[in-house]
Amino acid sequence: MRAGPPVIGRFGLAPAVIGVMYKREMLRYGRDRSQIFGAISRTILWLLILGFGLGAALREIEGYTYAQYILPGVITLNVLFASLQSAVAIVWDREVGLLREVMVSPAPILSVTLGKLLGGATIAVVQGSIPLLVAPFIGVTLTPLNVLMAWVVIFFMGLTLTALGVILASRLKTFEGFGAISNGVIQPLYFLSGSIFPLRGVIGGVGFLQIPEHLRDELRRLGIYTIGGGWFVELPIWIQALVYANPVSYQLDLLRYVLLGFQQLPLVADVLVTFALPFVATFVAAAAMRRMMRQR
Amino acid sequence: MTSPARGADRPVGPAIVADGLVRTYGDVRAVDGISFSVERGEFFALLGPNGAGKSTTLHMLTTLLPPSAGHARVMGFDVVREQAEVRRTLGMVFQDPALDDRLTARENLEIHAVLYGMPRAGRRDEIARSLAWASLAEVGDRRVRTFSGGMKRRLEVARALMHGPRVLFLDEPTLGLDPQGRRNLWEHIARLRQEGMTVLMTTHNLPEAEACDRVGIIDHGALVAIGAPKELVATHAPEGGDLEDVFIALTGHQLRDEAATARDLMMQFAKQGGEHTR
Repeated sequence: MRAGPPVIGRFGLAPAVIGVMYKREMLRYGRDRSQIFGAISRTILWLLILGFGLGAALREIEGYTYAQYILPGVITLNVLFASLQSAVAIVWDREVGLLREVMVSPAPILSVTLGKLLGGATIAVVQGSIPLLVAPFIGVTLTPLNVLMAWVVIFFMGLTLTALGVILASRLKTFEGFGAISNGVIQPLYFLSGSIFPLRGVIGGVGFLQIPEHLRDELRRLGIYTIGGGWFVELPIWIQALVYANPVSYQLDLLRYVLLGFQQLPLVADVLVTFALPFVATFVAAAAMRRMMRQR
Repeated sequence: MTSPARGADRPVGPAIVADGLVRTYGDVRAVDGISFSVERGEFFALLGPNGAGKSTTLHMLTTLLPPSAGHARVMGFDVVREQAEVRRTLGMVFQDPALDDRLTARENLEIHAVLYGMPRAGRRDEIARSLAWASLAEVGDRRVRTFSGGMKRRLEVARALMHGPRVLFLDEPTLGLDPQGRRNLWEHIARLRQEGMTVLMTTHNLPEAEACDRVGIIDHGALVAIGAPKELVATHAPEGGDLEDVFIALTGHQLRDEAATARDLMMQFAKQGGEHTR
């Protein structure tokens, strides 16, 4: 009786290894109540308080209320937190946790990484589903198909963002709190993704003037989107550039399309970024994990 | 442990051979040309002050760090070219616990079983046997977070033995344990000796080193003496000295203060509540 070979090269696939690393992520998530509370509090703060608060001033965006408009954004915020928290845990894991035990084992690094990423993506789906529960209360009707498609998008978004987090964490020497990640990574990605303001900026969003429907249509043909009693103009070019450079913008845009039927970026780009990027990101993350352990 | 050894080996030659191992970090030569060998069934201790290069040597032998120069073999397998075989044939216990403390002891062992490709059938028995070996059968379903330092260490040694390794590497196994925990762990390790296990450990603890078959003293990345404890005492501290006198004679009186490493900072952070402060 000898130990069976789980090794098919360092970049091999070992389903049992993927499975056990995935199970570990899920067990850890299940035992950390604070994450669920974070998701609930973000939903309340952003979707209900900001949604209805700003929604009182901004009557509508393309026919959607402000709360409806930011629903996909709040889901994205939860996905960002879930993915990055689970990814950045490897800094900790490497110094005082299980990761060294994993790295000295013959298990292939790609499988270890995949288990981690799939776990992060699943947690993202759970965390991202919490704002979905509020959808009926803000007037978004969801069919099972909508929800299913949203889960698919959220899952792949979670995969990419967890991989991004792993790549980032592999370069962190020390970790003394999540604050830097939250302020330095999550918030820029969130604010620069078209999550809380549309790609074309708002002017005169106060709804005391009614623009006739035919005028709205005409303006739309010129690329000017009306809102309530006002209209949109383009965002400053530098913000636009940042939004276009942010992969989260495309994932979020697809999520908004799936949930509300409204989107602002080229759909082909949305689909490509959402479904092709995770595969690239996974390999880069596996290489980063390998590199991280070799440089200690 | 009663389970048969499963790790592969090549039947000839010593268990461990280090041949001119060098590891540099920029301009710093952490390990500067270390050569020694450990026979099969031998208990061998690497002794040295802080920062002498003990852990770095261990990390090269266990394939975690590629050597900058030199070669090493474990059970006949080259640590660079036959990395997978080396990993399967060794068991490793790190200086700081490498456990997931949100998981139970049983869950930690299960992960190990899968990582080493141990067959699914019999895994439960294997885990139960490891828990029994570590005297943790009663607390197998408790989270590791609630364990004392000694319990964690026994769990880690049991885990390192689970896949039937032929060589066991222990990096400062009794560091941070109280005298009871230290003695208890030492009794567990001593049992392995009777079973013929090859053990390479690093240590600060002179009585532990004295109990080994042979000792290698490392300082500034180089091996300054090697031999059985009695021989070393006879050569370097002939007038009724002990291993401590040998150690001081060879490595000097200078204190080895080190700057805080990334790990120290994290450990400090851990004491303040650690990962769970967000």
